[in-house]
Formats: sequence, C-alpha cells, structure tokens
Amino acid sequence: MDIKPSILHALGLIDCAVFERLKSGHLKARFVGVTWLAKLMPEASNNATFTYQHGCAYLDDFLLDAEKFWANGQSGKIKSGIWREQVAQQLLYLEAYAAVVKGVFYLVICNVEKEYQRQQQTLQIARETLFTNDKLVAQHDHAFERIASLVANSGDSSQAAAPLKKLLQQTELGVAILDEHLNLLNSNAALVHMFDSGDKKQKQAPEITLLQLFESQYPEYQRVFSTNSPWSGELYWLNAANGSKWFKVSIHPICHSEKQLTYWMLSISDISQLKYLLKRNQKLSQFDVLTELPNRQYFWQQLNQQIKKARPFYLLYIEIKQFKRINELHGHLVGDVVIKDLALRLRATISSEDTLARIGGTEFALIMHNDNAFGPITTLERSRCQQLASELIQAVSLPFYTEHGHQCEVGLNIGAAAYPMDADHSEDLMKYADLAMFEVKKQQKSNLQFYSKALKDASHKRIELESALRNALDKQEFELYFQPMFDLTSGAITKAEALIRWNRPLFGIVPPDEFIPLAEQTGLIVPIGKWVIKETCAKLAQLQAKNIAIKLSINLSPRQVNDRQLLDYIVSCIDTFAISAQQLELELTEGVLVDNFVKVQHLLNEVRKLGISVSIDDFGTGYSSLSYLQKLPIDHLKIDRSFVRDLNNNENDKALVLAVIAMAHSLNLDVIAEGVETEQQKDFLQLHHCNTAQGYLFSHPLPFAQLAHLLSQQKTI
Amino acid sequence: MIQKKICLLGATGVGKTSLVKQYVEGIFSEKYLTSIGVKIDKKEVEVVEQIVQLMLWDIEGIDRYCGFQAKYLRGASAYILVTDQTRSQSMTEGLEIQALIKEVADIPGVLAINKADLPATWHWSENEIDHIKSQFALSCITSAKTGEGIESMFASLAALLVD
Repeated sequence: MDIKPSILHALGLIDCAVFERLKSGHLKARFVGVTWLAKLMPEASNNATFTYQHGCAYLDDFLLDAEKFWANGQSGKIKSGIWREQVAQQLLYLEAYAAVVKGVFYLVICNVEKEYQRQQQTLQIARETLFTNDKLVAQHDHAFERIASLVANSGDSSQAAAPLKKLLQQTELGVAILDEHLNLLNSNAALVHMFDSGDKKQKQAPEITLLQLFESQYPEYQRVFSTNSPWSGELYWLNAANGSKWFKVSIHPICHSEKQLTYWMLSISDISQLKYLLKRNQKLSQFDVLTELPNRQYFWQQLNQQIKKARPFYLLYIEIKQFKRINELHGHLVGDVVIKDLALRLRATISSEDTLARIGGTEFALIMHNDNAFGPITTLERSRCQQLASELIQAVSLPFYTEHGHQCEVGLNIGAAAYPMDADHSEDLMKYADLAMFEVKKQQKSNLQFYSKALKDASHKRIELESALRNALDKQEFELYFQPMFDLTSGAITKAEALIRWNRPLFGIVPPDEFIPLAEQTGLIVPIGKWVIKETCAKLAQLQAKNIAIKLSINLSPRQVNDRQLLDYIVSCIDTFAISAQQLELELTEGVLVDNFVKVQHLLNEVRKLGISVSIDDFGTGYSSLSYLQKLPIDHLKIDRSFVRDLNNNENDKALVLAVIAMAHSLNLDVIAEGVETEQQKDFLQLHHCNTAQGYLFSHPLPFAQLAHLLSQQKTI
Repeated sequence: MIQKKICLLGATGVGKTSLVKQYVEGIFSEKYLTSIGVKIDKKEVEVVEQIVQLMLWDIEGIDRYCGFQAKYLRGASAYILVTDQTRSQSMTEGLEIQALIKEVADIPGVLAINKADLPATWHWSENEIDHIKSQFALSCITSAKTGEGIESMFASLAALLVD
C-alpha cells in the first residue's frame, strides 16, 4: 500500500520538500506541502517545473556538490549538513539531500528543527564540560611549568624563595610541594580552603587527605611514586564541609638537576560543579564523550560486579604507546580523531561479552569474558588472552588516517592480571595489570605482559636499584670508558665515544642497558648526563696536555635535551677545562629529534655555532625522516649495529646500509658503522665508502688510561 | 555590488556566533548556546564609495565533536579565525585550524582575539601572540559583548578585499 507523502507529513512523520532534478537549475516539485518552503523557495509549487532562483547561499553551495553527484548517476545520497536560514522573521533549521533512486535525481530539503534542538542539547553539555576541562588542564599545566622551573632553579624549596611564595599565593589552584618522602615542604591557602571539612576537632593536613584519597581510589598510587611518573585524574572526597567534593588532581615529579633531589608537585582544582553538569546528562556521566565507551567510574562498577560473580577472568590494562608524539606532531584535534578511531578498532576486535572502557586520557581497560565460566584460569584461557591482545595490537597497527591525510601510527602497552589467581580485589587487580602494562612501556614494540610475582619482585628490585643509582654520583661509582672509532681509509683512530659504566659495590659492573633506561625514567639521567659531559671535557683537557688531539662523543638522552640548562652547562664545561669545542661531538637518536624537534633544532643550531659536531645515533631504527636531516645541522649518521650484524648474510640489511651511505653522502654527511665485528663486515663497508667504523673488531670500550696509551702510540707512529 | 564570502572559524565557545550577531544585529547575549552546522548572515559595507556585501558564514566550532570541513571554504574570499583570550586552548586549537585552512585555501586571514571585555587569562605571552599575528593579514582585539573592535575589523577586512 502506497502512503501519500502528504499523509506522512500530516502525521508529523516527515517535514520535507521533495524535488526531481530535471537538468541543472531546473526542478520539478514532487512534494512541497510544507508551509516553510514558500518562504525559502517561493518559485516552487506542486508538480510544477520551475527554475531555481539561487536565493539561498548555503543551498547554492550544496548544489555544486549535488550536481557532481547526479552526474555520477550512481544510486545513493549525499547530505548538505545542517544549516540555519533566516527567512523573514522565521529561523529555519534545514538539511538537504541529493539522491539518485532508480535513475531519477532528487533534491530533498528537510526541516530538522527538532533534530537540531536534540543535538544542541547534548552538545551544549558536552562542550560546556570540555571548556571547563580545558581551562583546568591549562591551569594545571601552566602552574606546573612555572613552579617546576622556580623550584628547579631556586635550590631548596623549603626556603620558599620569594617568587615561589608569590606564585603559590596567586594561583587559584591548590598546590602542595612535597619532598621525595612525601613530606610537605610548601602549600598554599587555596589548598587549605579546598580541604576544609568544617570539623574543627579532626583537622588533618590537606596533603595527607589528598594522598589518602589517591591511595584508596587508585591502584596506580604505588607505581606512580615508585617510578617517579606524572599522573593526573579525579578524586572523590566524601567528608567535605557541605557534602562531597570532586577534585581534579595532577601529580608531577620535579627533579632538581644539581642536587638530584626529587620534589612532588600536587595541583588540585575543585571540579564538583563540573561533575554536577555531567550528572545532568546520564550518558555523559557514565560514558566517555569522545569514544562513547564506558568511563572509569562506570568501569569500576562493572569490575566490582564481575568480581562479585566469583568467576575467573582476565583484566587487561591498555595504554596507547607514545601517544604524546601524535599530539605534538599533529595537534590535539588529530589526536582526538586517532583516539576515537582506535576505540572503534578495539571495540570491533573484542567480543560482545567483553567490557571495554576508557579509563584515562590514553588508557583503556578491558574485562575479558571467560568461556570456562566457573573453572579456574587455564592455559587455554591464558592463550585466549594472548590471542586477544595480539588481535588488539594488530587492529591498531595499521596506520590511522585523518580527514586531512595525516598518517599516524600507534602501538599498545597491554598488561594483564587474572582474577582470582593474581588478586581477588578490584584495587589489587587493577594495580597488578597496571604494573604489568608499565613493564611493556619500557619496550619499543607493542606487547602484552602478564602479571607475575616475578614482576612484583622485579619492581621492588627496580626501586632498590633506583635508590642506589641516586647515590652513585655522590659515591663516585661511575666511570667513563671510551670506544675508539676508526677511519676506514687511513685506519687511524679519529674519535672515541664516551660510554658510562656503573661500578656498584657488592654487585660489580651494572650494564648500561639496565640503569640508563631507569635513569631516563626517573630523571636522574640529567645529573648523570652532566657528569658525563664534565668528565669528558676533563679527559679532553688531559689529552690536550699530552698534545693528543681527538674528538670525543657524548650521548644525549631525551630528558637531557629537555633540560633548559644543557647548552649553558656544555659551554661552561668547555670554558672551565679550556678545551676546543670542535673536540666535542653530541650523539642523539632519531627519536629525540622527532619528539622535541623545535628544542633540538634550537640546541643543535647553537652547538653548531660553537663548533661542536653532531651524530645521529642508531640510525635506521626510528623515524628515518629525510626532512629533519635536511633541516638540522647534522654531521654524521651512525648506522645501527643491528643492520651491520647480519651484513654478511642478509640482503635487506646490505641494501639498507648501501642506501644510508648513498643518502648520507648525497647530503654531505659522513657515515659511521657501529658494531663492526668481522673482517667481512669491514671489507663490505670499506668497499662501499663508509667513512668510519666502530666495534669489537677494532677495539672494545677502553678505560681512559688505555685509550690515552693507544692514542699516544698512534701519535708516535 | 560586490559580494564577498567570509568564513568565521575557531574552536567551540570562542564567540563566533556572538561576533556576527553583534555586527549584524547589534545584539549580545551572555548565555552560551552552542551552534550546529552553518548560519549565513549578510551585511553591506561601504568601501571607497563601493557597496560590498559581506556574506558571513558562521561555522560550527571545530572540536572533537565536529571536525574541520574544507568544503565550507569553497569560494571564500577571506576567513576570520576567532580565539578566546580567556582560554589558552582556543589558541592552540586555532593554530591547528589555521594549519588546516592553509592546506586548502590561499586566502587572507584575520585573527580575532575575542572576549576583550574579560581579563586575558590565557597563557600566551606577548611575544608568542606577536609571532602568531604575523601569520595573518590582519589581527584585531574584539568583544562581542561591548562591540569593541568589531565594526573596524569588518571594515578593514572589506577594504582589504576590495583593494
């Protein structure tokens, strides 16, 4: 049975005008029984053919797209998007469609006022929330930046240097500065005001309440403080003066580069009002507005409910790998698009019985449904978890493309903990999954890590190692070794790379790959890196006194590059030891360049002015973008040892090494091959005009005395 | 009469709709009401004895809920990038939008630093703002509430387009 459009309209089911497009600009009215049309398109009347008068700019613009679509002739439709049109005294809310149905071309214009108002209502709350949140994030970041800079430069924060005191008084945020043992050094009146419980008898220091709330509400507490990681999130305080309060809290470690002291800066804002706003919309209070996945609060409820069922399951803690890089390279709008797409891919990968939630900016959590609902976690379940993690990693491994052609690549750090095998409380379960995830974070590649007791023990060992590392500088436990680099044409030693060794009493030599990542994570790399710079300059001065001219290279880590005092420090060391800047070389990895391009560009331009040369270390393993090679003042590329290792039997590696040499030479850069261990490798590199080689074939890293001896012999020859 | 299409772009809540409303109707409302889609308003201005009709495309704020749509810039003679001096993020997002515009259109841009009736509480320094301004053909401090800088902004833009 055909129902006439006029009946549908009378029933309030449609509020549209339908035209058949005959030829460009010529329309035939098929259904125009809507009152508003006479105002928008007075030339149209029922069943009459007419020429469109082009009075409506938005529709005119859409008709350009529509004409292209109709010319294509394929069935389907395109939308104009909503627009508002002021016609006489009436504001119309419209949307147009161009459609092709059975070879006939249609133009449909709909009054979408109700849809507009519905969308506006939801977006209004979402956007008001977004503003408040933006403002808070900006306030926290700004306060941290300023306070961190003041504390780092003022020496001892307990002295409460005047500018710091002033800053603390000025800010609307509650701020507490704690020492490394979480004892209060400084705070402001705003913090005290926020934590006023109204109970004069039981007055507890605000920072104590804050830490207690953090510890009781977030299983990440221990990991954050033991690994000196920054954290931000929301805390709920039940015992406020006038009912409960919600706080947004940011916790940042502040490392004092000279004295190695660690402070903690806690900044807090009251977001109770924001929470009230969210409550007005049930969906927004339980779901993340960007991804439409359940949020942290909702997930927590689900996790507790799951535990109540007393059936074994896996909890996965998922973090997007190096997401900061995407925000820095492409901006936050693109970052948001990637998170949204990534959530869609994750959702498409899991089963409908699994629960996935966005529990933080770049963090997701997943309760994995267990097939074997009542039995214990079996090897099969573990394999299933592994399989799911692989699928999740696979799902996000394909590049993300934004609307404007930006290509972004991300990975996942996944930690898994099993209920009840690993823990039978939601807090512990989350804590352990988080700890396992943190283990993967240290690796370059996406991966899954199951929680284990060994992991917990390793975490404790790590805390011990960190404590020892903090004291290693004072106790003079570090030593520099130097690995010579040889000119492949003359065979002479042209420079040497300074490599740090930690001689830990009772433990012996700790390999650099064990303590350097830890030093990087904890920020200790800054004082350790300064020691390396100073010591290298001192050694250069000693060689200079013996009339030995050689270049020594120093590795710079990402944290060091971020240190604002780095350049001044290098200059002061050059002056103190009266050495030539041309005897120094800095080695940076590709990752450092990409992560901090603007800072690195400034730094390298300045060091170039001084005469210091620059090498790109581990070339080929990271973001080998040609554009930065052209934009930055670089002198050498160091081909990563992984490509040199299989040079004799891997055609791909051969091709890659040849390509790097050719590219470097065309850009007037020298090439250094690392990890050369065989004559065949040396012959291949020599044959293809690689400039310099470094590796066990020539020399192991040497104590300074041996290097000096070797160099003095070379000088004699 | 010359007709010029001008697109108003920016992050959400910076006051694009309020700017146009103040300019075209002389009205300002304190209540923030989010916009969806596009609204086109027209206003005629006289430039050196010529009447120029400005077609002002007030485009929905660009954020996580609504992406940048290059098609709106089709046929535009200029754009106004509106920012809110009480919100740092509005400039960060504004710069991202500016980069997206530059990818698709080679037309002059105006930087409108709006909400001049409120204290500037964003964290952009004078130097940074000066550097950003240099990327635009014009820059203006405006207030949709008091009307400060609005007439002169559109008048200068119209003059620039007629030149």
